[in-house]
Amino acid sequence: MKKMLSFLERYVVAIVIALLFMLVELAVELLQPYLISKIIDDGISMHHFPAVIQWGAVLVGCSFLAFAAGIVNSFYAAHVSQGFGYDVRERLYEKVQSFSFANFNRFPVSSLITRLTNDVTQIQNTVFMSLRIAMRAPLLIIGGVMMAFVVNAKLALFLVLTVPFLVAFLFWAMNKAGALFRLVQERLDAVNGVMQENLAGMRLIRAFLRKHREMERFALASEDLMARTMAALRFTETTMPVILLLMNASILAVLWFGSGEVRAGGASVGEVVAVINYATRMTAALSVFTMIIMAFSRARASAHRIADVLETGGDLEDGDGETPSTRMKEGSVVFSSVSFQYPGTRVPILRDISFEIRPGETVAILGATGSGKTTLFQLIPRFYDVQEGSILIDGIDIRTMKLEQLRRLIGYVPQEVLLFTGTVKENIAWGKEDATMEDIVEAAKRAQIHDTILKLPKQYDTVLGQRGINLSGGQKQRLSIARALVRKPLILLLDDSTSALDAKTEALLLNALKLYRCTTFMITQKISAAMSADTILLLEDGKLLAKGNHAELLNHSALYQRIYQSQFGEEAVRHVQGAK
Amino acid sequence: MFKELSRPFQYPRMKLDKPERASAPQASRRPQKAKDWTGTLKKIWTVLSRSKGKLALVLFMVVLSSSLALLGPFLVGMAVDDYIVSGDTGGLLVLLPVLAGVYALHSLSLWLQNYTMIGIAQTAVYTMRTRLFQHFHQLPVSFFDKRQHGELMSRVTNDIENVSSTLSSSAIQIFSSVLTLIGSVSVMLWLSPLLTLLTFLVVPAMVLGMKWITKRTGVLFKEQQRNLGDLNGHIEETISGQRIVKAFSQEKRVIAEFKEKNERLRQSGFWAQTFSGFIPKLMNVLNNLSFAFIAGVGGMLALSGSISIGVIVVFAEYSRQFTRPLNDLANQFNTLLSAIAGAERVFDILDEEEETNDEQDAVHLPEVRGAVSFSHVSFSYEKGNDTIADVSFDAAPGETVAFVGPTGAGKTTLIHLLSRFYDPDGGSIFIDGHDIKRVKRESLRRHMAFVLQDPFLFRGTVRENIRYGRLEASDEEVEQAAKLADAHSFIMKLPDQYDTVLEQDGAGISQGQKQLLSIARAILANPSILIMDEATSNIDTVTEIKIQEALQRLMKGRTCFVIAHRLNTVQKADQIIVLKDGRIVESGTHEQLLRKNGFYHELYHSQLRSKVVGV
Repeated sequence: MKKMLSFLERYVVAIVIALLFMLVELAVELLQPYLISKIIDDGISMHHFPAVIQWGAVLVGCSFLAFAAGIVNSFYAAHVSQGFGYDVRERLYEKVQSFSFANFNRFPVSSLITRLTNDVTQIQNTVFMSLRIAMRAPLLIIGGVMMAFVVNAKLALFLVLTVPFLVAFLFWAMNKAGALFRLVQERLDAVNGVMQENLAGMRLIRAFLRKHREMERFALASEDLMARTMAALRFTETTMPVILLLMNASILAVLWFGSGEVRAGGASVGEVVAVINYATRMTAALSVFTMIIMAFSRARASAHRIADVLETGGDLEDGDGETPSTRMKEGSVVFSSVSFQYPGTRVPILRDISFEIRPGETVAILGATGSGKTTLFQLIPRFYDVQEGSILIDGIDIRTMKLEQLRRLIGYVPQEVLLFTGTVKENIAWGKEDATMEDIVEAAKRAQIHDTILKLPKQYDTVLGQRGINLSGGQKQRLSIARALVRKPLILLLDDSTSALDAKTEALLLNALKLYRCTTFMITQKISAAMSADTILLLEDGKLLAKGNHAELLNHSALYQRIYQSQFGEEAVRHVQGAK
Repeated sequence: MFKELSRPFQYPRMKLDKPERASAPQASRRPQKAKDWTGTLKKIWTVLSRSKGKLALVLFMVVLSSSLALLGPFLVGMAVDDYIVSGDTGGLLVLLPVLAGVYALHSLSLWLQNYTMIGIAQTAVYTMRTRLFQHFHQLPVSFFDKRQHGELMSRVTNDIENVSSTLSSSAIQIFSSVLTLIGSVSVMLWLSPLLTLLTFLVVPAMVLGMKWITKRTGVLFKEQQRNLGDLNGHIEETISGQRIVKAFSQEKRVIAEFKEKNERLRQSGFWAQTFSGFIPKLMNVLNNLSFAFIAGVGGMLALSGSISIGVIVVFAEYSRQFTRPLNDLANQFNTLLSAIAGAERVFDILDEEEETNDEQDAVHLPEVRGAVSFSHVSFSYEKGNDTIADVSFDAAPGETVAFVGPTGAGKTTLIHLLSRFYDPDGGSIFIDGHDIKRVKRESLRRHMAFVLQDPFLFRGTVRENIRYGRLEASDEEVEQAAKLADAHSFIMKLPDQYDTVLEQDGAGISQGQKQLLSIARAILANPSILIMDEATSNIDTVTEIKIQEALQRLMKGRTCFVIAHRLNTVQKADQIIVLKDGRIVESGTHEQLLRKNGFYHELYHSQLRSKVVGV
């Protein structure tokens, strides 16, 4: 919560003004009973009609004043809440952009998105509400008591007496309700969890006849949710009758002692009426209380979730970047005894990996899922830092380079293709803002996607994504490759990026890649693609099992032989061995 | 300082009057509203009607509390008029306890109505939620094939939540608002028809003012919604695509794009919020005006002696009670509309047709040897478009049958028919000579186990996930199954071995390991009939080699049906059935089919060839 308040500092002036104008509104509202008492006492009781008109006119004038103040308050309140939302959102987004991959593993993408969207909106609305409604209640209570004092100090004492009780009760209720609603939220998450799981695993549940078990699980979670919700709602709804009772009791007291005062000449009838009027106004202002409790407990949860993100420290230290970029134009890559495990886990993913790749070589990486291929890839652009050993590009430890400088050297094509909403052209040029049309077309041609693009309705200007057309998996893969190629990278990383391509296109693509003077790493499952590589790295359980070209591995590695066999059949192996 | 002060007035002015733009999104928002009002309300009623007694209590309490709320100020007025003005302490002594009673009863009735209504509402929501869940389990599998989980989830969460909050609070509020409104107006009329008329003078002003504001806020809110959607889209895309953003070091650029969209949202949000902020202010000023009117005119009337001071006091109070429910009603109306629309979406699903029940004379099969035969089976998902046409074959107990063919040939449909996720339109399927239509679904599926393409894991421990195959299995049996599935060794390497908690998507273990767990699950179930639908196609070839042995062990001694994309995985099957467009084109063993030189031969060689081209 503190963190959120610091965002409001910039708006202190506007907040003060908004509150001031709200005070004007409140003052008018609080003046009303006073003015009415004047109308009654000076005018009607005295049979003095001009006084009625006079005070009536003051009342109308004040109303318009309040209206004008209210309009100005609207402007300032909206400015504060929108500005606040804007600032929080921006800080949050910048923070997320500075996240390392390890940070990302801590927060699921879906949760980050909700935090940036729903949670910010939630707090923003609460800020707006505070400036408009929530602050009213306390101010009205204070003002009401003060005005009551002005009208008649003795009678006002009864209102004052109730205030400490009221405040204590409200604070207690607010805290308790907050805790209750947190429990509700937890249970709701549990219910949704079961539901989500059932929808996703419906087929399996049917197949294994586990319907009744799942229903029991759901009923249990659901009953729990029901009980918690009832408890929370019933609690908050109890506050209102209690407040009413408290305020009404003070009205009774005012009536009783008021009548005594009137008889003794210590108070006028109009004053009694006015004080009672203040009491009812205070009660009415408190009626929004249930709503405020709920809004605040939600806002508090949101604030926590946002602060959680903002307080996450980045764990990748940027290099000092003193390396002149002119030194890195070869593209040799050296892994020297690299070991790695994901932060927060105990199992090492890569163990003692060492190899040297000369500039311009093509490297194929093979291995079972979970053997560490993708992890190895992610170490090269420094998405994660190695725990032991080092990675050198052209002899320079990548940890001493500036992250941006390092990543500019690399063209990365991830396993899951991710395109952005926009045209084909924009998507290819995404990797290089200053790419010319020639650059784009050249990259598309090399990625074997140029012909396909020309067949699209608007060629390079065709819009992709949700609002545009959908490409097939293979087309997307090639576009993603073109995006990496347009950067003319020194090192190209292809993470199983040709899986959806047919053999012919794949071969053409691999040939075209040879035109680039870049060191290419590709993760692949296909022996056919690996065969053309200069070096094959075979990984198993995070260790480098074998290294060499196709012929060497076929001779020395049992695992490689088995893979080869499974893809080409036993005859092929016999054929190869026979030929030898 | 001055700069800060003038900031709120420096937002670029939004163009307000764009009727043609305003009307288009409105049309698209229409479906948000309920299509069948009366039908949906009736259904809500059937859910609620189980608590009829309690509802009556609530209703009674609302009437009671509303009248007590009106009675309070009336009695106060009486106290002032009759006793305080005249100084009649004795009368006051009688009246005050009555007033205290009224206040106490008011609080009590308020509390009781809320307490009861929350109970009713939450029970109703619980019922709806559970019914929806149960219904999901009764729906044919095809229902889930047609819909996205996200959309279904949103019905369970947002829509039901919507109904829940509306039933809990808004229902009472709406009802009591209406009652208070009627009550206030009648009391006001009774007190002074003339003053009532004066109070009503503000109504046209209210309507006009509201119209003026909502005409603007309508456009502005749509603009804000659009900008918000735009910004959220950008957030979603760039955060899901974080890998790319980072790899291409484009952080600065996406932040710049974000700022631009964020700024646009701020501007439209500012105007929308400012204008909508006018509404309560307007209500307030009108309220105050009518208050002043009443005081002025009332004062005049009191001077002439036609009404008393007490009446003015009371009247002023009622006139406030008259505008507040109006305001509340306007606010609640939208919530109510969206809740009804939400309820309708929930009922839409509940109205979906359920899987047909077992036949009356369905038998229970205590044991199954595993002889399966399809006899002239045909089936279509949509009328007139046969997915399966006249398929016949026999599988002896213990045999392995592979289904092969291009996508859409009907392989998975055959499996669905065998496990009775669907029933055939024509022909019959027999297991050990029993027509499966005459066998209880439960009994049938108890003898089958499935290993599917996506090895689905639940949130829970490794042990629980394996035990899902047979709930009553002992820990030893679970470990035995894991050993047979080659899963034991990797499980022992997990942080808490068999008690390691897996996340729902099985994060923390690899795809191949997940599949091993699902094989262990199937081994534990010990079925007579095993079904493997693309069990290894999500797995790379290296992993496939590794789990091949576990699969062989699983298949041993059972009738197996295998669907596989890669033909090398089905070569050892006793019988390969080649499907195309829902028909059997040819069948036989791998060697027989290759010799036939038919469709299988073609398929096989096209796969083989594609591998060699790369050389």
